[in-house]
Amino acid sequence: MKRSNFILATVSGLAVVANPEHVFARALAQTPLPGLPGSERRCLVLINLFGGNDGLNCVVPHGDARYYQLRPGLAIAPGDVLAIDARTGLNPALRSLKTLYDKGTVAIVQGVGYPNPDHSHFRSTEIWQTAAPDRYEHTGWLGRYFDEGSFGRDEIFKGVALSRVLPEALVSDRTDIPAVAALGSYAMIADRNAAARDAFARQATDRSLPFASPYLAHVMEIEGDAQRSSEELPKLVAGYVTKASYPATALGRSLALAAQIVGSNLGTRAIYVEHGSFDTHVSQRTTQNRLLGEFSEAIGAFYADLAAHDDDRRVLTLTFSEFGRRIEENGNRGTDHGEASPLFMIGGGVKGGLYGTAPDLAATNMGNVRYTVDFRSVYATVLERWLGRPSATVLNGEFRRLPVLG
Amino acid sequence: MAARAHIDVGGILRPDGRLDLSTALQPYRQRLGERAAAHLLRRAGFGGTPDEIRRYAALDAPDAAQALLSLSPSRAIAPPPEVSAGGPIGKRKTRESLAALQLWWLNRMLTTPAPLQEKMTLYYHGHFTSRATPRFPEITYNQNALFRQYAAGNLRELTREVSKDAAMLIYLDGANNEASHPNENYARELMELFTLGVDNYTENDVRESARAWTGWRVFRRTDTVEFDPSRHDFGGKTFLGRTGNFTGDDIVDIIFDQPQCARFFAASLLNWFVYNDPEPELVDRVAALLRARGYELSPVIGTLLASNVFYSDRAYRALVKSPVEFVVGTYKTLGLSTVDESALAALQQMGQRLFFPPNVAGWPGGANWLTSGTMIARQNFLTRLLGSQTLAASSWLRDLPLTSASAAQDLAATVLQGDAAPASIAELEAYLGGKGSAALATLSVENYDQRVSGAVYLTMATPAYQLS
Repeated sequence: MKRSNFILATVSGLAVVANPEHVFARALAQTPLPGLPGSERRCLVLINLFGGNDGLNCVVPHGDARYYQLRPGLAIAPGDVLAIDARTGLNPALRSLKTLYDKGTVAIVQGVGYPNPDHSHFRSTEIWQTAAPDRYEHTGWLGRYFDEGSFGRDEIFKGVALSRVLPEALVSDRTDIPAVAALGSYAMIADRNAAARDAFARQATDRSLPFASPYLAHVMEIEGDAQRSSEELPKLVAGYVTKASYPATALGRSLALAAQIVGSNLGTRAIYVEHGSFDTHVSQRTTQNRLLGEFSEAIGAFYADLAAHDDDRRVLTLTFSEFGRRIEENGNRGTDHGEASPLFMIGGGVKGGLYGTAPDLAATNMGNVRYTVDFRSVYATVLERWLGRPSATVLNGEFRRLPVLG
Repeated sequence: MAARAHIDVGGILRPDGRLDLSTALQPYRQRLGERAAAHLLRRAGFGGTPDEIRRYAALDAPDAAQALLSLSPSRAIAPPPEVSAGGPIGKRKTRESLAALQLWWLNRMLTTPAPLQEKMTLYYHGHFTSRATPRFPEITYNQNALFRQYAAGNLRELTREVSKDAAMLIYLDGANNEASHPNENYARELMELFTLGVDNYTENDVRESARAWTGWRVFRRTDTVEFDPSRHDFGGKTFLGRTGNFTGDDIVDIIFDQPQCARFFAASLLNWFVYNDPEPELVDRVAALLRARGYELSPVIGTLLASNVFYSDRAYRALVKSPVEFVVGTYKTLGLSTVDESALAALQQMGQRLFFPPNVAGWPGGANWLTSGTMIARQNFLTRLLGSQTLAASSWLRDLPLTSASAAQDLAATVLQGDAAPASIAELEAYLGGKGSAALATLSVENYDQRVSGAVYLTMATPAYQLS
């Protein structure tokens, strides 16, 4: 395994327009990724590891003596770590992920965060979802991507959130993205009068209403979308045959559905999935290892399923968590809210390896890992290189791309 | 597709047509009738029962507005017992007490004799946002009570009070704002989101305001707020062009002396009561009124709710119902007496969880309420509610005429004030009468409940019902 030593700017990841590297990155963005399907056939699967996943016990700095000093009760013993190199390794629960890493399809981006980190779950989640650390945005970064793209009205499954409530990342001004917790629940409750209801809905689009409203056209469109998408989704994915054994977990079910959606070729460009809660203030080891194990097993099955359908090069999976956790363990065998943490980019189009700089446990930000990669650099990479769209308007600025793809 | 072009950033739409500025705020001098009365009750409250609509229909606009503004005192309202448990409370109790508080408020919206009070409380909740402090529900309740107390009160005074409210001090870090290390969070949002809007102050104003707000502390267990002089910065400050040894109250006064502050609230109130994205000239008129009345809301709301622009075609059905308006309004329309717990999950799926606004900017509203997911949640809420209620529980549905044509007309009139296409009313009549379907018999005593509840669902699934 060739280790990538690409080290990113340590300040903010913000690149100036005149920066020659930026010009290079722009040219890079416009070149197709060799050996991969065109961007219109590619899909991003975004997994929110919510609650604040502890980065140090996920991607373990087992070569750093400070790690063992600061975490006497929580550190993962050197012998248990799934070593990547003499300094870094993976939590033992990430066995399936390590297999994919060894195949070269997992990139680990270390030290990801943003300036002036916020320690509130709520606000920091919002910052990651809206990609706006310095202001309040009511739209999400993927919502803006959809708003700016030229998608047709009939592409109703261009984005799908596998959650009960539409996540902020997919909130947009002009694009309707369905939130589908499960195939069974994304449906108008079958009512005995479905036929009459449909006939009525048809008549309801009659324009001879005795009032005008600036929202009338919007309401009618969304009502149509809701009816159509909830009726069509189960039919459209019915022909797909799952070819892997998924774990019987919520994440396993979500990723099985994600593979089904990708494999059914609905033109889906982004799928959102949630997994957690990683908020491990108390007895961290049990909870985090279980959650990481569930994650790893589900990802293993997901890529096996995708590969069996020859879809593994079409799907990039990106994880994120609102923050990492405090370097030093607390008095309850847990850790408190922290700052920067690593994230994973997984898929057949990924150039595997370690990216960014390993956390420096000596030079901390009041006991937290300092960020060295702005998360918007990761988003810019995904937008430009994977989804094939300019990122500056979506992200409200230019951010340096990572050479993770193609 | 044409309507798309109107959507500006934020999904907020102004109605088509021209504003007649010279008469816009003049009183509308006509007897309301049921359609206008229902419009008023949707905007000033959460819709009306058929009886309430008939009562207001007989009034003229100024009298109707005055009736809504004569609010009963709010101090008498007791919180649900789950809230008075004192804190901190355990995890399970936390869920229970929050659900109890949400249900308590929803039921208050449904049954209050003073709906405008609850509508303004909801307005303030989305404006002066704070998130629930789950382990100390009394803190959340007390902020809600503060909003209710100021429902049609003085905006300047409320802004002073809410700045020292425990929930706010916790949510925007005012309780961590000390002279030795100031926290600017509240100082910034006070101007950016609560009173002035961006670009109407400098970064230095934020810093100086934060210094003026230093020293407030919250003791969660007892829900008490104290000013600790040892944490306060007593130095001189320069804020929005004035210099002095300012306290937080002084900061509020200086802000409210800015003409921009009046414009900010004028636009916000027009968005809430009349229509979205109001014309700047209309905003200026209402702002002048706010300043002339010293930010007393009662006369300003009274003017708005009695005005020509409020009763104009341009304002009619020009707002998207929020999930809370949709849910509480449905119970009202059906004449049901209690909001039950199933409404809470439905509201969350529709995108509005009380005491949990999405961020400090509140719920963006307008077109943002409607996605296919939230629309399915709205329709499924109706299906569940109509399936779980017997029509006997409804004051008027049990008494619809047994001929399908009359029943269809009655439903469209009572639920939609006739705002349905003729073809939809014909469809409704056909459904009620079992026409076009071999499986359905004509409307009769035997199939009445089933058929009428299906017809109510159809009526409420129309576009007009999503709009206020």
